Amino acid sequence: MTSAAALAPGADKRRSRAPPGLWLLSVIVVAGLLAPVYTAGLAFSDEEISSLHIALLHWISVPYLVVGAVAWWRRPESRLGPLMVAGGAAMGLSTLQFASSDLLFTIGAAFDLVPAAIFLHLYLAFPDGRLRSDFERVVVSTAYVAAVGLQVAKMALGSLGTQNLLVVSTNLEAARAVEQAQLLILSTMLVLGVGVLALRRRHEGRPRRRAVSLLVDSFALGLLMIAILFVVGAIDGLAVAFQPIQRITLAVIGITPLVFLIGLLDVRLARSAVAELMIELRANLPAADLRAALARALRDPSLTLAFWLPDFARYVDLDGRPAVVPAYDGRATTLIERDGLHVAALLHDPALDDERDLLEGVTAAAGIAMENARLHAELRARLAEIQGSRARVIAAGQRERQRLERNLHDGAQQRLIALSLELSRLETRLEDDPDARLRLDRAREEIALSLEELRDVARGIHPAVLSGHGLEVALESVAAGASLPVRLQVRLEGRLDEPLEVAAYYVVCESLVNVGKHAHATSATVEVARRNGDVFVEVIDDGIGGADTERGSGLRGLADRVEALGGRLRVWTPAGGGTRVRAEIPCD
Amino acid sequence: MRLAIAEDSVLLREGLSRLLNDSGFEVAAQCGDAEGLLQEVRRTRLDAVIVDIRLPPTHSDEGLRVALEIRAHHPAVGVLVLSQYVEVGLAMKLLADSAEGVGYLLKDRISNVPDFVAAVRRVAEGGSALDPIIVSTLLTRQRSEDPLVCLTPREREVLVLMAEGSSNQGIADELVITLRSVEKYVSTIFGKLGLPSTGSESRRVLAVLAFLRA
Repeated sequence: MTSAAALAPGADKRRSRAPPGLWLLSVIVVAGLLAPVYTAGLAFSDEEISSLHIALLHWISVPYLVVGAVAWWRRPESRLGPLMVAGGAAMGLSTLQFASSDLLFTIGAAFDLVPAAIFLHLYLAFPDGRLRSDFERVVVSTAYVAAVGLQVAKMALGSLGTQNLLVVSTNLEAARAVEQAQLLILSTMLVLGVGVLALRRRHEGRPRRRAVSLLVDSFALGLLMIAILFVVGAIDGLAVAFQPIQRITLAVIGITPLVFLIGLLDVRLARSAVAELMIELRANLPAADLRAALARALRDPSLTLAFWLPDFARYVDLDGRPAVVPAYDGRATTLIERDGLHVAALLHDPALDDERDLLEGVTAAAGIAMENARLHAELRARLAEIQGSRARVIAAGQRERQRLERNLHDGAQQRLIALSLELSRLETRLEDDPDARLRLDRAREEIALSLEELRDVARGIHPAVLSGHGLEVALESVAAGASLPVRLQVRLEGRLDEPLEVAAYYVVCESLVNVGKHAHATSATVEVARRNGDVFVEVIDDGIGGADTERGSGLRGLADRVEALGGRLRVWTPAGGGTRVRAEIPCD
Repeated sequence: MRLAIAEDSVLLREGLSRLLNDSGFEVAAQCGDAEGLLQEVRRTRLDAVIVDIRLPPTHSDEGLRVALEIRAHHPAVGVLVLSQYVEVGLAMKLLADSAEGVGYLLKDRISNVPDFVAAVRRVAEGGSALDPIIVSTLLTRQRSEDPLVCLTPREREVLVLMAEGSSNQGIADELVITLRSVEKYVSTIFGKLGLPSTGSESRRVLAVLAFLRA
């Protein structure tokens, strides 16, 4: 059985919250709808009350109630649902200020500005229903205090007319002052809320899922509109502008639950994508296409996969390259297990954390394909390891050869030269002893022979000229010393990395030796160049072709050297058509 | 004649210095690395420097680089490069523009004192000294059509000595023939190989090398 578990702390706690009973939700929604139904009736019966205005208010209250209930049912772990229901209910209650009953009016008036505070809370708490910082909590609390506390205070001072039952002592000037303060404080908090949303976008980037991105945009627009409305309400001379702006604002805020609904539908659409995914997987999806299929099913183009390799104790991507899990760039991580063993991790948009069912469905569907892909990644990782260790073995051998050559050069060779020099100086002092001179001469000749042999040995161990002066100079001597005419063409800008120079050098040397031994050629061409990010080495002869590429030719050893550097060695040797040895080694 | 030596082996540096002092040169400076040599060249008047091709710190091409630098910026100072391996490619780098006042010899050659001293003197006087291995490599190099088949064995010997940088007098002494016959051989060789006669002994080194390398 495949299962998904969230890495995010507290995720488990959130998951354990059960959805509310269906009857309880229904009761809540019906209760919330009582006020809107009542005031809608009022608007029909009373000519004085603007039907348009009431309609606009319920354009907000009803969708918030309904969509909130759906969200509450779908995602009981998130506080968003209850918050939306509360917002819709508060909006409905606030319409009671159109009632003729003093009690209902007082209740409606008291709730007049509460929806603004709830919307601020709701928008900032998206997507998981929690506020993220103390600053956000202070902003939201301040808004609640202003919307409820100052509302009661201004009503106690006799604001809002004769139906107001909360009047303690009437002081209309003071009441207006409290109202202005209340509206300015609220609009300030709303603007701060917009700032928080903007800052989040700067830090976390645009949400990758389109519906989410739209939703957050509608939040910011709604908060801004309410803020403008309150500023207009607080300034005495702008009363004329209040109503049109209020209606536009209401229209905008009403859009939010619709976008939210689209988001929920989006998830339902994605759910049908799970079925499509299953069909795709059944058709033996290649490992390389698994990521794209999962990204489509989860509607998250940014999705990446990391496979867990227990033998290496690390995560890798599909190509076996090390991967970082958890990701630290604001991505969320979902671990995937199969038969109780950890298989892989999905790195995805955090918004998907709200859709655990979908994640679980997709990861369950992809179980076997995921395991296959993991094996594929493991194979790649092992190949890379073998390649790396082969390169290390060759590099270590090369270093050892260089060290030996250096020791010979600085040790035996220098000493022999110094000795020979000493002997010749001695010789000049023995002018009257021809016998001794002769013997010294012979000794010097012996030393000269030893030096020559040592030079050959040293060169066989490692051609110092290659390390010192590069490929072109080293190959010039090789070409000049070859047993057949060689046309040499080296086009390199500057030096190459030493392992590359050594490999290219040996490719040319070995190939020319082979040509001399087996090819019966009259001439050869050597070309070395940089080409498309590769070092290109080619040795062509005009001999009999048909070279044995397996035994004794040294080609296997050359191929090892070249392949250890990530390159490849190819040989064309048609009978009677000459032989072409070509090595291409990446050099960037 | 004032010389400076750059060689990181103390044993060799001192042996070489004693040898040259004994042979009538004045060894004005002994350096362990290329930078030290360059300072000496700038500081004092020298006729020639003797440079090991492999010098600290990396023992790769420091010696060659300082040799090329001295040749470029102090053309009056002869440069004799010593090495435990001689390479056609490096000879071509050293002699890229001219063969005047330059030498490139296998380190072993210093134990043949008379030849070595003659080579140092030649380089200090603006001539050239190229290791026989370089010349023989070029000479024995495989060619589709050997342009040297038209030369007599004697002419070949003269050609080798010319390529190594010997003067006419040097060739005459080496082959025990008269100066006049050397001059005759030289003009015959140039005629047979189709090379323009250059006059200067060091310029003809370059001409012969270029011909052999082609």
